Amino acid sequence: MKQHLGRQSGVQKVDVSLIDGKVEVTPKEDGQIDPAQLLKAVHDSGVSVAEMEVTARGKIVKDADGNLALQASPGQSFAIAPNDLLKTVEPLADSPAVVTLRGELYRKPAGKKKAAASAPLKLLILEVQKKE
Amino acid sequence: MNPRKLALLFVLGSVLVPVSQAQIKHIEMRVEGMT
Repeated sequence: MKQHLGRQSGVQKVDVSLIDGKVEVTPKEDGQIDPAQLLKAVHDSGVSVAEMEVTARGKIVKDADGNLALQASPGQSFAIAPNDLLKTVEPLADSPAVVTLRGELYRKPAGKKKAAASAPLKLLILEVQKKE
Repeated sequence: MNPRKLALLFVLGSVLVPVSQAQIKHIEMRVEGMT
């Protein structure tokens, strides 16, 4: 799995802890990495992902339906799931301000042994680390 | 340089630089079934 992940574009380093089942991925400097692709790569190597957390820096944008999303790069944005922390970044929507967020991007649905590899990714904010 | 051009460069720079610095910094997964 480590080799499989390491071959994905944008991956600089992969650390695997067999004891607690933790996999840490360090993106390359440009940060052009696709979490959905990583999720699929883990799945393809026969391992199930229970949860995925990301720390990302970007702008808060509003999509066509008025839902908020974090634009982590010009071509990549993640819809933000509603919670109390969303309210703290809501005023920054479509402003030039940049935020650094830590959030849960994927959690395996309860009661399912194997989750779908192509589950929609939604960012549930766990921590607002920085507003610039 | 023309002050208007300078002002325009400043405005464009302040908008574009944060976007170019946007990125995913770290990813952590908890996996099951790993041997």
